[in-house]
Amino acid sequence: MLIMVFVSLVERAPDGGVVWGRFTTVAYTQFFYEENLLGEMSFNSDYMQIYLRSILLAGFTVLATFVVGFPTAMYVAMQEPGRRALLIFFLSLPFWVNLLVRNYAWLLLLRANGLLDQALMGLWITSEPLNILYSNTAIAIGLTYSFLPLMVLPIYAAMEKFDFSLVEAAFDLGANRVQVLMHVIIPGVKGGIIAGCLLVFIPGLGSYVTPVLLGGSKSLMIGNLIEAQFAAARNWPFGAALAFVLLLMVVLAALLRALLLRHRQRVAP
Amino acid sequence: MIIALQLYLTEIRLSFLTVQAVSHQYAGTDVKVLNNVVLPIQENEFFTLLGPSGCGKTTLLRVLAGFEVPTQGKVLLDGQDIVRIPPWKRPVNTVFQNYALFPHLSILRNVTFGLKMRGMSRAARHKAAHDALALVRLEAFVDRMPSDLSGGQQQRVALARALACKPRLLLLDEPLSALDYKLRKEMQGELKRIQQETGTTFVFVTHDQEEALAMSDRIAVMQQGRLEQVGPPSDIYDRPATPFVAGFIGDSNLLPAEPGAGGRLYLSGGTDLGVPGAAEAQVMIRPEALKIDTDGPLSGVVNDLVYSGAATRFGVTLNDGSGTVQIQQPSASVSGISIGDLVSVAFDPNQLWVLDR
Amino acid sequence: MKLRTLILATLLSAVAVGGAIAQEADKKVNLFFWPGYIPDELLERFTEETGIAITMDIYDTNEALLAKLQAGATGYDVVIPSGYILPTMIKQGLLQKFDSPDLPNGDKIAPAFADPEFDPGRAYTAPYMWGTTGLVYDSAKTDGELPQSWSVFFEPGPLSGKIAALDDEVEVFNAAAYYLGFDKCTEDPKEGQQILDLLSKQKPDLLLYGSSGTIDRVLAGEVAMHHIWNGAAHRIRNSVETARYIYPKEGITQWADNLSIPSTAEHPENAKIFINFLMDPKNVAEITNFTGYMNAISGSDEFLKPEIAADPAVNMPAEFADRLRPGRECSPAARDLRNKIWTRLKK
Repeated sequence: MLIMVFVSLVERAPDGGVVWGRFTTVAYTQFFYEENLLGEMSFNSDYMQIYLRSILLAGFTVLATFVVGFPTAMYVAMQEPGRRALLIFFLSLPFWVNLLVRNYAWLLLLRANGLLDQALMGLWITSEPLNILYSNTAIAIGLTYSFLPLMVLPIYAAMEKFDFSLVEAAFDLGANRVQVLMHVIIPGVKGGIIAGCLLVFIPGLGSYVTPVLLGGSKSLMIGNLIEAQFAAARNWPFGAALAFVLLLMVVLAALLRALLLRHRQRVAP
Repeated sequence: MIIALQLYLTEIRLSFLTVQAVSHQYAGTDVKVLNNVVLPIQENEFFTLLGPSGCGKTTLLRVLAGFEVPTQGKVLLDGQDIVRIPPWKRPVNTVFQNYALFPHLSILRNVTFGLKMRGMSRAARHKAAHDALALVRLEAFVDRMPSDLSGGQQQRVALARALACKPRLLLLDEPLSALDYKLRKEMQGELKRIQQETGTTFVFVTHDQEEALAMSDRIAVMQQGRLEQVGPPSDIYDRPATPFVAGFIGDSNLLPAEPGAGGRLYLSGGTDLGVPGAAEAQVMIRPEALKIDTDGPLSGVVNDLVYSGAATRFGVTLNDGSGTVQIQQPSASVSGISIGDLVSVAFDPNQLWVLDR
Repeated sequence: MKLRTLILATLLSAVAVGGAIAQEADKKVNLFFWPGYIPDELLERFTEETGIAITMDIYDTNEALLAKLQAGATGYDVVIPSGYILPTMIKQGLLQKFDSPDLPNGDKIAPAFADPEFDPGRAYTAPYMWGTTGLVYDSAKTDGELPQSWSVFFEPGPLSGKIAALDDEVEVFNAAAYYLGFDKCTEDPKEGQQILDLLSKQKPDLLLYGSSGTIDRVLAGEVAMHHIWNGAAHRIRNSVETARYIYPKEGITQWADNLSIPSTAEHPENAKIFINFLMDPKNVAEITNFTGYMNAISGSDEFLKPEIAADPAVNMPAEFADRLRPGRECSPAARDLRNKIWTRLKK
């Protein structure tokens, strides 16, 4: 990491690589500004838009995996112990398969006249291909699927330790099912939920396989952008600077988690 | 059951809570956890369900709370069947055996929980909580967390939490079983006091018969899903309806007797018991109703002696073959007697209770 | 008499081999290659004939190779850089001089490829495969034959939504530059803006940008037209008879891969033997048959498979020679402009 910070602050060599020993912060200013025709610096929002998109995409994935994963974790936690182990095994099975292979599986399913279309058209539910592939929907499906185990497992672990007699007590006191969920269960497994969110958000920020394969590479993610700097653009300092900004975002996310957990210890009446 | 059916039916018509022919078995099993239970419970009553583990008392409590729907039968509250009403809609609250306080909420928030769920305003529910905590004498602990409190204190918070909702019926599931002896005795008194102060109907579950006798207005003794006897403590203790109740409550001596001359019952050794009876029966007599005396109709050999301060207990094997009896007497009157002595035993016929065989 | 015969025989064989390369004691050569770019049978035959064992590592882009050599990697004897990156590598001293025309098969290099701009006189390289990046389409899915122009790519008309571009900054930019008549290494921001406008206008017509699974995509019918390398186009034509390859009249990028020896190579002599082996017409024809790309060695025609020789995608018709635009390395300013346009296109 120190090397990365160092590289981000040195001068760029014309044909790739760096000129060790000549320091400059031009890589960081490049993030915000560019030189226009008249040699002036003008604000350039391209890179920030790319970062924003990656953040939004990662955020959406957190939401989607939570909506699907929380009920799943709760369902599994309420089964008897033997069945629980089996269900958890099946849930984590996709993880044993390489990410690329999993994404390709979705490609085959979602492409026009792929398996999904054939099934739907064969059952006379649709008459034309759905054209899901290479759209934001396909990216969303791919990301949710890939990251689901990372949300389910921490929540499940927290639920296993959760005392479900508290649920009965809450019912008894007059809370209906929705209230019990909001006021007893979710606060009770808060640690697991936060862990799950982080485990999905942080790698999600860097994800670029799914947007490229299932999204048709129509938008750049942070990962693609950084890779390009070390490849076609041959701008190592800028690539390092981009990576450093990404690192800062990750650290911020982790700090947020620590803050949330600490606050939980003293809830004012 | 010896209790007259007419009496029961009258009670049912007038009572505030009636358990009507409730039976329950768990899905996929044949065993009836509750077998045709009929129970009228009065308002403002301290009613206890008593029995050994597995007798169904906790299941019955859960039926009243709404956590189990019985396979048969009804539960009428003010004449309305509440069996299918979910727990959160019933005017019934429970004090759980393990307290079940919400660990992430302060004591105040725990106590106001039920009121908050029902939409009470902040000021109103804080007042209600303070009142409830005052009742259990824990006002000073409002801002603490449950983990800061001892077991007994947590128990009182659980009680306050349930009472704050002003339920028509309060259910207590062996709430004192985790406490030490002294604290238990103290809490028994507290519970009784609170019940009388608030006028709430309590249904209390325990396996400890001493506790039941000390606190209850009425007791229902259960065994294997059936009611053995329902009545005030004195009835249960002095006039047990079945051998099970006789054996379960207090200590008792059960002696076999046969009818004989004059239509009275005689022990196997021929001693006239002085009570009428036409059929073979078991006669129950409490240890404190027997006396080691200079002159008594029975005699036997002391085989056991336990001194416990005010009283001493003896085990005496009767010479007429009726068996061994437990005798409890003030220590002062029996000093000098030791194991192996031949003694004579007297009894008061008025304190005998006849049970069918 | 016997001793003299022996000495004579040794001298004679030395003369016969004359100009041959001395072998090293360590009979190994390490290749650093692109994946799927050389048939295994050929490698096995090399080891059989020369007794030199081959190990191969793979990489996927020229930039990756450049970065590795710049970082000082050792242990590679033969690498396979594309033309446009060679000036940089030569300037930085990453490759060693071995003068391929002086090797035994050096005279077999086809004249058109004997003196490339990126390595005058072939001092540091021997030619490997060369190809073009054009367009492939299925004529069964279009209204007959399409014109030989980039216009079908940038103004697809009825094919909108059924075409794909390569996910390659350089190739996409080049196509736009040729179509607009600009130098593909332009440093002019105004020209850059026009290129960006053209590409932005095209973007909604594209189903996707993708460099992998191109063949599969066309065969599955997902797209009717794909921006593609000619070797892949050839493989498509093997399965789809109605597939056609376009050499656009505005210009088509010609790239050339070459064999080179890093300056840090541990077995440079074995490397030369290997490179020489690959300049033999029969051997190089095997590679062409395998990859579907044309080679730069004279006399290999007779060894080519008929379908390769007959496929215009591989065996370029002579009349299209003036459309070829050899790949060049652009100046840092031009590269920056291009990268900025690509970022902005995809943001």
